[in-house]
Amino acid sequence: MIKRLLLSSTILLLLACQGKQSPMKEGNAVYYWRTDLRLDSTERAFLKQYHINKVYCRYFDVVMSDSLGPIPNATLKFSETLPAGVEMIPTVFIVESCMHQKPEGLARKIVDRILQMNETNDIKGVREIQIDCDYTARSRMFYYQFLEELRLVLSTFNYQLSTTIRLHQLSMKVPPVDYGVLMLYNTGHPMKFMERNPILDIRDVAPYLRYLEDYDLPLAAAYPVFLWHRIIQGVDIEHVATAEEILKVKNAVEKEREELKRSILTYDLATDNINRYKPETYEKIYSH
Amino acid sequence: MKRFILISLLVVLGMPMMACGWYGTDNIYLFRLYDSNEFSERVDKITRDNWKAYLGSDQDYYWFDADEIIKAAQKKNDALMVSYVKNLKRYLDVCSSVRDDSWKYPSKEELAQRNKTLREVQAYALSKVKTKLRSQHALLYMRCNMVLGLNRDNVTFWENTASLFIETVYKDMMKNIYAGALYKTGRDAEAGELFAEMGDYNSLMTQFYKRRSFAAIRQEYERDANAGVLPFLLQDFVNNAQEAVDQDLEGKLFVRDIKKEEAMQMAQFAGQVIREGKTKNPAMWKAAQGWLEYLFGKKQQGYDDIQQALNMDGTEWAKTSARVIHFYIKSDVAPLNDAFDKWLTNELQWINGGEGPYEGFKGGALTRAINQQLVDKYDKVGRDFTTNALLNITSNYAYEARINSMKVERLEDFFTYTKSPSDNELDEYLKGQMKISPTKMYELIGTKHLRVCQWEQAINWLQQVPVSYMAEQTQVVYAVNRKWTIEPWITRQWLKDEIEYSNEKQKLKSNYKLDFAKEMLAMEKEAAIMKGDAQCQRYYDLAIRYAQASYSGDCWYLTRYGKSWTDSVEVNEANFGQIAKQLLQKASQTKDPVLKEKALFGSCYYYLNPTPWYESVWNNDNSRFEIVYRPQSAQFQALLALEQFEKSNKNGVSAIVSNCDVYTTFIKRNK
Repeated sequence: MIKRLLLSSTILLLLACQGKQSPMKEGNAVYYWRTDLRLDSTERAFLKQYHINKVYCRYFDVVMSDSLGPIPNATLKFSETLPAGVEMIPTVFIVESCMHQKPEGLARKIVDRILQMNETNDIKGVREIQIDCDYTARSRMFYYQFLEELRLVLSTFNYQLSTTIRLHQLSMKVPPVDYGVLMLYNTGHPMKFMERNPILDIRDVAPYLRYLEDYDLPLAAAYPVFLWHRIIQGVDIEHVATAEEILKVKNAVEKEREELKRSILTYDLATDNINRYKPETYEKIYSH
Repeated sequence: MKRFILISLLVVLGMPMMACGWYGTDNIYLFRLYDSNEFSERVDKITRDNWKAYLGSDQDYYWFDADEIIKAAQKKNDALMVSYVKNLKRYLDVCSSVRDDSWKYPSKEELAQRNKTLREVQAYALSKVKTKLRSQHALLYMRCNMVLGLNRDNVTFWENTASLFIETVYKDMMKNIYAGALYKTGRDAEAGELFAEMGDYNSLMTQFYKRRSFAAIRQEYERDANAGVLPFLLQDFVNNAQEAVDQDLEGKLFVRDIKKEEAMQMAQFAGQVIREGKTKNPAMWKAAQGWLEYLFGKKQQGYDDIQQALNMDGTEWAKTSARVIHFYIKSDVAPLNDAFDKWLTNELQWINGGEGPYEGFKGGALTRAINQQLVDKYDKVGRDFTTNALLNITSNYAYEARINSMKVERLEDFFTYTKSPSDNELDEYLKGQMKISPTKMYELIGTKHLRVCQWEQAINWLQQVPVSYMAEQTQVVYAVNRKWTIEPWITRQWLKDEIEYSNEKQKLKSNYKLDFAKEMLAMEKEAAIMKGDAQCQRYYDLAIRYAQASYSGDCWYLTRYGKSWTDSVEVNEANFGQIAKQLLQKASQTKDPVLKEKALFGSCYYYLNPTPWYESVWNNDNSRFEIVYRPQSAQFQALLALEQFEKSNKNGVSAIVSNCDVYTTFIKRNK
């Protein structure tokens, strides 16, 4: 009896020591957010230069139709494929209002559509799906139920599921996914652009830093490299997160949670965004 | 409309939530030269009428139903129609399955099958282009080619065959496909003229999207002074110029930014076009000139030019645009006097009269003119009732905001104004057009009396409001599930998501605002004659009610129609939070240590103190917020008073206080 107990304890101890394998691989990634998958030479060179091994590619949006309920919109056209060795992660943006009521059958529809898109367009090696939704207290319950259902459907294909996490969502219960991508952009109020950069300002990130340590979900970090062009009171306004601000935020979040060094993304892959920053900046953003 | 206000307010983090919304300026375009859906609507209508005639029906025909038409054709022994509709159905089925944005994404086999079907239908249609249904079959043939990407085949077929057919709606549709094929095969100029001739402005936008500019307009004009694409290009230019000038803090991601220099070049060029005298549509050019001048600061010059435009020849759209722009500019520059009122009445009758394609356009222009010109104009001379009436007749959201924020006595006067005759022609006209719900007015006036603690007056108005009306208000879910008797500094009344966002109708038993007003009236009367601890207890109970009914209380629905993190004490509203705090201070004079502790504790409540007891200051050096105390702040002083009381509290610190993280943090501040 004692022997048996000892054996059981040893097995348990061994299992505990092995630890849980992180669902999130270390590496560099980008979001691709256009409606036609077609990469120019600069974009292809970028993937190679910064060892980007994953592209979170927006396959389609899901929008709310008054008569039909949630429907797909702005589906990606596959004019080209990703370079060999770069993993495609189909990403679906769901408009928050779709989650104001229980989206019956939506999980199955999304999975079926992604699988068919992959098959028709010869997209191989897909092992994960990401859902992007700016869920709020109002939509959270149905969104999480939807994610549960989606995860169940995906489990039959051995696919992982991830979701985007906005800063304000850090104060909520964690979503039922394998990991989250912390969106470190669009942090400010678009109307208060004179005071703070609405794309990224460390002062808007700071109040949320305290949630990072205890947030019970593996997290990757996504940083903004895009330009936001607006005309305000007749004046051209271009918002861009400065390299200095991005790196300041990167240091701050990684100090709170070292895991955020593991998997790093930028939003989004586009030649203009690549040319906007010096190569050293990208090297620093993608440093682990 | 209250629902409208409610949902337009911003979310408050961690508090009862409402949906987000934002209203920018009313940048409705005032320069319009065509109906953008002209081609598709015209073609669609004729086609539907043709099917209706074929079916011999007296009902309007809306949805094409192949099976119904096949049955009718079989009855008529019309074999050719049967085969045509069967093949048309095959083509339409392919088209609907080709749509990228359906849940069913096509497989490779389905894509191949689609092409096979299209080729079969294409071959069939071509074999029938010499039958009596030649136009229909020719159209079917060209449609198949279009989907298969055989644009050159379509160009050849139109030029050699279809263009010789008699004029029908099917020929119009073929011509449209031909124009698309020209565009796709590099014959842009011809395609543009054809699209413009047909009124297919959606296709023109696709074609010219990246070429829209003053330079393009001049180039097209020099090619042909009456080129069909000119109205499209000019309208697009002028409306983009308007966008660039309008102050829209939401930003505009998808418009072309037009600078003043380019706009002025355009205005000068429009003047030159009129002087040259080659255009058949001078009203269009003159209206563009006047509007651009006005938009970019040359108001008087713009006004002079737009007056000239009113008397020029042009299309109906151009003349309507000229009048609408004149209406807007005159609303700004002309002095307000009796003549202006008379002119405005006349213009309002024109804008509100008649139906047809111009109705929505004129209505939009009116909204812009009211919001941006007439509101200020009439308010400045104290005619705010006229302003209210103008906003009311255009169902303007600003109307609700205005009557919600005006003094209650003024609102009562306005209500009287709406019901009384007037000597002024404009006011009389407006009163005839206004939509006023008496019940809604009773409720609002009653609520506004509540906001200034005039309980008796509130009761007088609110008792005229039936419970059924109150039950329809969006905030009823809070009214049913919350109580104003609960101390907010001890218990927050959060609602579960399934209750807060439930679609189920709430069961309201009474008019809660009326109940509240009656209770407050009675309690305050009694408080005035009470003495000692009983009076202190009454002050404490009143403080609870004032705190709950304040904008930050759980029972905000008593005085407000929505909740937002941007809320504050508004004009013509008593500061309920401040009153609550004063009452708590009075209550804290009690000799009862339990009540005293609760009153002192309530005084510390975050929402009763305008500034918190500490401030988080960002430190750039270490990327951290640092705490800086504010000893002068009301909350600091309240916490200090509580701390001092607790030091000598014979009952010991109660669980309510000792469990409060704010208090426990406060007492550790110097450690």
